[in-house]
Amino acid sequence: MAIPDSEVPSRPRLRHGALTVLAALGGSLLLLFLAAPVAELIVSGGAGGLARLGRDPELRQSLMLTVMTATTATLLGVVCGTPVAYILSRSAFRGRAVLSAVLDLPLLIPHPVAGIALLLVFGRESAVGSALLTVGLRVVGSPIGIICAMLFVSAPLYISGAREAFARVDPRYEAVARTLGDDAWRSFRRVTLPLARRGMVAAAVVMWARAVSEFGAIVILTYNPKVVSILSWDRFATFGLQEALPVAAVMAILALIPLTVLRALRHDRTASVSL
Amino acid sequence: MIDIRGLSARIGEFELRDVTFDVPTGGYGVVIGPAGSGKTTLLEAIAGIIPARAGDVRLGGRSVTRTPPDERGAGLVYQHGYLFPHLSVVGNLRYGARDEASVGELVTRLEIASLRDRDVRSLSGGERQLVSLARALARRPAVLLLDEPFSALDPRRRGRTRREIRALHREWGFTALQVTHDFTEAGLLGDVAVLLDSGKVLQYGPPEQVFRRPASPYIAEFLGAENVFAGTARVLAEAAPDWLEGEVAALAHGYHAIEFTSGPLTLYTVGSGGDGPCYAVVRSEEVVLSLAPQSTSARNLFRGRVVEVGTLGAFARVTIDVDGTPLVAAVTTRSVQEMGLREGSVVYATFKAMGVHLC
Repeated sequence: MAIPDSEVPSRPRLRHGALTVLAALGGSLLLLFLAAPVAELIVSGGAGGLARLGRDPELRQSLMLTVMTATTATLLGVVCGTPVAYILSRSAFRGRAVLSAVLDLPLLIPHPVAGIALLLVFGRESAVGSALLTVGLRVVGSPIGIICAMLFVSAPLYISGAREAFARVDPRYEAVARTLGDDAWRSFRRVTLPLARRGMVAAAVVMWARAVSEFGAIVILTYNPKVVSILSWDRFATFGLQEALPVAAVMAILALIPLTVLRALRHDRTASVSL
Repeated sequence: MIDIRGLSARIGEFELRDVTFDVPTGGYGVVIGPAGSGKTTLLEAIAGIIPARAGDVRLGGRSVTRTPPDERGAGLVYQHGYLFPHLSVVGNLRYGARDEASVGELVTRLEIASLRDRDVRSLSGGERQLVSLARALARRPAVLLLDEPFSALDPRRRGRTRREIRALHREWGFTALQVTHDFTEAGLLGDVAVLLDSGKVLQYGPPEQVFRRPASPYIAEFLGAENVFAGTARVLAEAAPDWLEGEVAALAHGYHAIEFTSGPLTLYTVGSGGDGPCYAVVRSEEVVLSLAPQSTSARNLFRGRVVEVGTLGAFARVTIDVDGTPLVAAVTTRSVQEMGLREGSVVYATFKAMGVHLC
């Protein structure tokens, strides 16, 4: 005898519905947890922070220093990291796994530890540090130290992203370009680079954002002059929350800029894929 | 000229091994082989995309084994085109083109003028192949390597493009090597057919020879021969049996009459081999069917019963049972209708001694 629909056990459907509600609840709570502090920070201190930019020369200089050092570190990362990323994505060679592990290392160690490691290499007592000092380059306690710290902690992010971008470009495009008369460099410049460009730019934006938000390694290597992350800590430690709030809000707004750029890039890519 | 001697190349776990063949200057070679046999790898090794581990690649009489791809003078067209997606169609055509006149001529001859300003991402698979062909040809290479370049074209366009490429090949004088799965295409285009399997050349030579005289039963079956029999050959003492008909001249070139036995079947042919186990190949096109025994001196005459009639357009495959052994004949659908063939019909199958190839 056929069982009427109304009498079919509905337990699985109920269980499915309960799981959906639980998942939605958990996801919403996590989103709230991630977004609420940043939103609160910007709402509470954003306007004040932006207004403070006009009358707080230290904050202005700190912001300028942060942008300049992060940009320099990113440019260095792109120039030096692109060949590494390309080789890692294209060539199978002995030691590739070791090289990859070395590149991931800065992401895994605590950033103050990274700062100490950099201090050991570039400090005045070290061979490299003293050699650089003799040619007039002081790393510790200078913008160069900030750039070094930023490069150390964020370059692996660029290399990883650029490597992915190159891996997405089928090597046969290069093969065709080679048979059309391009040497290896020309085919890279005319074919691979344009095809990997979006991924590389996205990786550079992530690197820049990571560099801007770095604190642990910089505080060891160069406390002064202060980048925004150090300044917000300094104001908090010296004057308390109210003084630190506008600086922290400016920092959060600065971090939102690359996020917006990334979103725009992704939107562009989605649009082109759907063609 | 494409002259490959003992070429070995590896990509991942796959390896081309000791590949040897040549295509004369201005010739058109075709590479045939099952999927995964290394056809594309072979083209890439010749183009210099994959380095050779051993052997020699000579293009136009010059050894290019260690020469980078851009200095080999070989164009490569992949099956999927690999048009540069960041460039327009015309940008792709001009990429590496020798001159604007070549681009213009190819756009006209391959009938792709309407595609010039299109975004390559909006092209169909067939259109991509046409643009890719034009892009490679616009460089006017001395050697053109083609990896199933017509596979995405509809039959009409495919025929037209094939004829145009053949015409360009004659006019411009380049040497071509094309991968194809289409045996008809191989026969129509090729001066040399190279049969590749598992990274090795099984046989190469004029397509007629490769198709008619396969070197092994595997090759015969791969090339579509449906009648392959395992059996034993015996050289006949008789100098020139009457069933040799007009083929007596073959005996003057070291050939002799052979009797081949496979179960209940006994076939007669000529060949250069001796006594012993071997395979006999009879292409289905060689088998003639009739309702009564034909008055011919052909010794290979069998009575059988039709077990299957498969029609495909104008042609039909008729399988007959000869004392428990299946024998396939390729005939026209019209013949099937005229003879009224259907399952159970009794027919006579005849084929000439020269239609039996031993390997």
